[in-house]
Amino acid sequence: MSRVDSATPRSPALDATTSDSRLAALESQLAAASAEIAELRARDALKTQFLANISHDLRTPLTAVITHAEILRDGILGDLTPRQLESIRGIISGGRQLLSQVGEILTYARGAANQLTLVPSRFAVRDVLEQMSALNESLLKKKRLVLSIDIEEGLPAIDGDREKIAHVVGNLLGNAIDFTPAGGRVWLRAGHAVAADCPSLLVEVGDSGVGIATEHHDLIFREFAQVDSTPSRPHHGTGLGLTIARKLVELHGGRIWVESQLGTGSRFFFTVPLRQAD
Amino acid sequence: MDDRAHVLVVEDNELVSSALRILFESVNHRLSVAASLAETLSVAAQDPPDLVFLDLTLPDGDGLAAVKPLLAAGCRSIVVLTGHDDFETRQRCLAAGCTEVLVKPVPSRDLLAKSTTLLASRRSALQ
Repeated sequence: MSRVDSATPRSPALDATTSDSRLAALESQLAAASAEIAELRARDALKTQFLANISHDLRTPLTAVITHAEILRDGILGDLTPRQLESIRGIISGGRQLLSQVGEILTYARGAANQLTLVPSRFAVRDVLEQMSALNESLLKKKRLVLSIDIEEGLPAIDGDREKIAHVVGNLLGNAIDFTPAGGRVWLRAGHAVAADCPSLLVEVGDSGVGIATEHHDLIFREFAQVDSTPSRPHHGTGLGLTIARKLVELHGGRIWVESQLGTGSRFFFTVPLRQAD
Repeated sequence: MDDRAHVLVVEDNELVSSALRILFESVNHRLSVAASLAETLSVAAQDPPDLVFLDLTLPDGDGLAAVKPLLAAGCRSIVVLTGHDDFETRQRCLAAGCTEVLVKPVPSRDLLAKSTTLLASRRSALQ
């Protein structure tokens, strides 16, 4: 009686056929995966373009709302009572707040599509820190926060995109003010980065506020992430601020990080490579 | 003869153009509004403005296409009012011959101050 021994080695021709068919199956899987990746990338690009378009289109009606309200505020159509004026100012502030959030989404969308470009100039970081401090004066006063600025002697001017560096400082300072209870301290420092690969500027934005748990240090730099994302969270916003800050710092060839623990305040740092003056 | 400064607002959004109309009429400028490229070219040909506030995205084309005809008709200053705040747009506008590029929404006081400054040279030329 004959039987087929399953342990009998198969012929080389049969092996070749099996490995050919496996290879074909793998190639087909690879092609399917590649097509899927291409499809997802195309959808992601569409989403980014949509965000950019919608952000831009939202500016027009917001312009109408804010300009009409400013006309009323400035008494162009007649004097207003103090309470009417207060109400109109509320419309303008709300409109400007919305506008800044729309701007944030637009900047994020441009960053995601790699459409952000640097417009470099030479400037002193002191000017940017003082400008941001002045812009936040009324908020600091309202919360009775003490702001100090400390800049290392002889710090050279930097070559970078002034507006974008100001955006980063403005965002970090805004967060510091937002997350520090009344009566606390906020500080801005600038100096040379000690351990950087190349000569770099180091900027610190610190506060004596609520702090951030270690496990959330990476999360806060991710898009749309907020440590507390419940609807009743005390701090609102697009959740894009730090993602954008990171993108803008990285565009300059620098890096950004946080040192903080819950209850001990936060210190945000970023570096910008220094290029020697010509 | 009406010797008030003639300001042309090129803007296809009626809510925005109505605000700009109220604003510029409050300082006694003579105001025209054009909601398209075709209307802009028609105003340029028939009643050349002294100062133009120009939107870029118009239903029938790019607002910058009106810059040359406006300047050729004797318009002295063209200020772009746009929602695009990128460097490329700014460069494109200045290269086309515009005086300045402002990103919407510009505070109404700044718009009035801008028109006063830009129209000052016209006033001194008239005197």
